[in-house]
Amino acid sequence: MKIREERIGGAVVCFLEGEININNSPELRKAFDGIIAKNEKKLAVNFSGVTYIDSSGLATLIEMFQRLKKIGGALRFCGMEQKIKNVFEITKLHKLFEIFDTQENALKDF
Amino acid sequence: MHIFEKLPSRLEIVHQFVPAVIEKLEKSGLSKEELFDVKLCLDEALVNAIKHGNKFSQEYHVEVEVEITGDRLIIQVRDRGQGYDYSKIPNPTEKSNLEKNHGRGVFLIKTLMDKVEHSDCGRTIKMVKFIKNGGKK
Repeated sequence: MKIREERIGGAVVCFLEGEININNSPELRKAFDGIIAKNEKKLAVNFSGVTYIDSSGLATLIEMFQRLKKIGGALRFCGMEQKIKNVFEITKLHKLFEIFDTQENALKDF
Repeated sequence: MHIFEKLPSRLEIVHQFVPAVIEKLEKSGLSKEELFDVKLCLDEALVNAIKHGNKFSQEYHVEVEVEITGDRLIIQVRDRGQGYDYSKIPNPTEKSNLEKNHGRGVFLIKTLMDKVEHSDCGRTIKMVKFIKNGGKK
């Protein structure tokens, strides 16, 4: 999995590429740790390069959601392919997370 | 098609073994979306067997059997652990469980596969996916 961060407006956008699975979830957690350590509170995750996610990937995102919520921050997702979006919908996590079709919409009023 | 493997209880094996299985299934008649589902379910079943079943013990292997019989793909994953009561797994989609960071693997398997059976006190999971075009491609 490739992870790239970019500041856009008042938020940090995290671009993910490849598979999110149990073997590389710690890498994602480490990237999120780094963002929180910089006192960033608004994080948008762009999933347009994500081809796969398993339940450990979902768990890592839930942890990040909780950590940001605790410090008054927010987490938004965008750019998911339908097969990835299905995993969120099946597990009803689309009700927990704010999921937008495009990055532009995710950053609007963020 | 028939695959039988005894895998060591190491997580890194999962992401070597599963893509190789999926590649072999590409001409099975399953659609790309169905193969995505099968990959996810096989991943989740193997991770459960290694992590919760065998508890990463190097003394125990995980047995995996993948076969196509007629219009169905049958996958069986067996561990050597203590077993578990699969009927007591909480529903992760309930509001009170939504923020829990575990418990979605079996739920995904039950949702995405056409038939799921547990046996041997929860040490074996059998997952079936029907191949809608009869396996012709």
